[in-house]
Amino acid sequence: MKIVGRHDEAPGVKTLRLEFQDPDDHEQFKKTFRTGMFGLYGVYGEGESTFCVASPETRKEYIECTFRQSGRVTSALANADIGDLITFRGPYGNRFPIENFQGKNLLFVSGGIALPPTRSVIWSCLDQREKFGKVTIVYGARTVADLVYKHELEEWQNRSDIDLVLTVDPGGESPDWTHKVGFVPTVLEDAAPSPENCIAIICGPPIMIKFTLISLKKLGFDETNVYTTLENRMKCGVGKCGRCNVGSVYVCKEGPVFTAAEVSCMPAADL
Amino acid sequence: MTRILFSDKLDNCVTRWQSAGFTVMGPVSKDTFSSYATVEHASDFDLGIVLPDRSLKELFFPQTEPLLRYTIKQQVINTEDFNPPSGKRLIFGVRPCDAAGLSIDDPLFGWDYKDEYWFQRRNDSVIVTIACTKADDFCLCTSLKLAPDSTNGSDILLRPLENNSGWQVEELTDRGREAFLTIAEFLQEASEPTAPIAVVPEMFNLDTCVAWLQNPENFESKFWKDISMRCIGCGSCTYLCPTCHCFDIQDEGDTYSGIRRKNWDSCSFALFTMHTSGHNPRSTQSARWRQRIMHKFNYFPGKFNVNSCSGCGRCSRQCPVDMGITETLQKISTLHS
Repeated sequence: MKIVGRHDEAPGVKTLRLEFQDPDDHEQFKKTFRTGMFGLYGVYGEGESTFCVASPETRKEYIECTFRQSGRVTSALANADIGDLITFRGPYGNRFPIENFQGKNLLFVSGGIALPPTRSVIWSCLDQREKFGKVTIVYGARTVADLVYKHELEEWQNRSDIDLVLTVDPGGESPDWTHKVGFVPTVLEDAAPSPENCIAIICGPPIMIKFTLISLKKLGFDETNVYTTLENRMKCGVGKCGRCNVGSVYVCKEGPVFTAAEVSCMPAADL
Repeated sequence: MTRILFSDKLDNCVTRWQSAGFTVMGPVSKDTFSSYATVEHASDFDLGIVLPDRSLKELFFPQTEPLLRYTIKQQVINTEDFNPPSGKRLIFGVRPCDAAGLSIDDPLFGWDYKDEYWFQRRNDSVIVTIACTKADDFCLCTSLKLAPDSTNGSDILLRPLENNSGWQVEELTDRGREAFLTIAEFLQEASEPTAPIAVVPEMFNLDTCVAWLQNPENFESKFWKDISMRCIGCGSCTYLCPTCHCFDIQDEGDTYSGIRRKNWDSCSFALFTMHTSGHNPRSTQSARWRQRIMHKFNYFPGKFNVNSCSGCGRCSRQCPVDMGITETLQKISTLHS
């Protein structure tokens, strides 16, 4: 894949836009990719890392991935320039069944660097906006600087058909911050979206997911209407290497997208 | 009257198999350890040991295996796949637990994406198993509902004769039959009594253990901490295990050329599941040991209908701190589920 775009989202967080070099691979991707799936992005000599495909299933001319520069592979990806070639293996895993969400209200809850997988679903729905009801997005990060996709947050903010609630953790606000201050689950409870005819899609660090599930329960959401994606460490992506398992579930094959009802059947201590 | 392969003809057989194109392999003892390896002559085999230190797994799923070679020149990336090595192999003197290990892992390597490296070697190999007439204190095949003369995963089963002069031949598959057709002239029709198979006492009741493991309330039992307190996370049990299949993928090389490899990995290692963020779903050694036991006796059978353990006992036999599956399941079988 060729890097055709590169964007700094937040300190240490980058988005790459990638284009296929082989038309057959691209055709295959167009046929199989649905929102929620993931891939293994790699740089030869460094290795591969697993991230979701952050671009929506309604825009398949390219792939976007967003990641935090942290280890060997993500550093190599972060240092790659426009025009450089990197590898992509995928798309793997299951998806958000957005056709089943049609006619329903959508609530997206996301934290920090977990907006990318949520964003893929958000745009997949916004690109066919008329098919869905009310759209609410609750997004938080540790600090204002850590919010990713700032340009898109602004766009969503300005749209009348989206309710956007932004928050940063206490202490993470800047002097000109006009949005909420508080942890995502608390802010979510304050916003109190109605569970009526609503699907919730949540993604965040494990601790945020844990408390957001509790908040959604309080708000009256049924576990079968709450979807999340479990982004575990993976190497093979095809159900063999053994590290993404939570209980008997191979996240790479049976996930990464699960309903809260499915997650509640998994051993909580291993999440 | 049954067909007998007398030991004094074994070298003729090895030569014949070699000229028929087989690489002949079997248990071989070296200075420091024993393993299944290629032999030149029948005298290279060490058929007297209870079982080799290292399991048969490594001949099908090597500790490290090159997947592809990459070269990058002036922004052009060239990659060249390493095809799974092909070539007929006959592995003689396999222990029934090791042979069973292969058939246990077949569904894992075959579901969804078919691992061509595994199956190429599986299709290329004839497994000639010898029933065990001796066992040690660590053997536990009977506890896993297998036996010293189980045929799972084997193409031929040889039963040692009572006077130790050879083996009675049981052909189990067409592949085995074909390989033994090439040595037909060295086999004799005779009625020789076979030696009794090894006595391997049942160490625990597997069904009781599985019922305990399947009870979600026991997932966070204090038992897991107690039993794994002395685990040092060395991973020996997983490396020696004939069925443990976890691996890592790593690049070896630099920006210009190198090899992408598949290497054994272990659920015992702290970094195995560690996220980039620092979050680790299995952050303690007890969680990792629990995963190993759960995977083998609860999750894996739930998916593939077979326990991911063939009872070789290597995990207990060679554990530096004297832990192992036997001790864990023995203790579980005494707990009330």
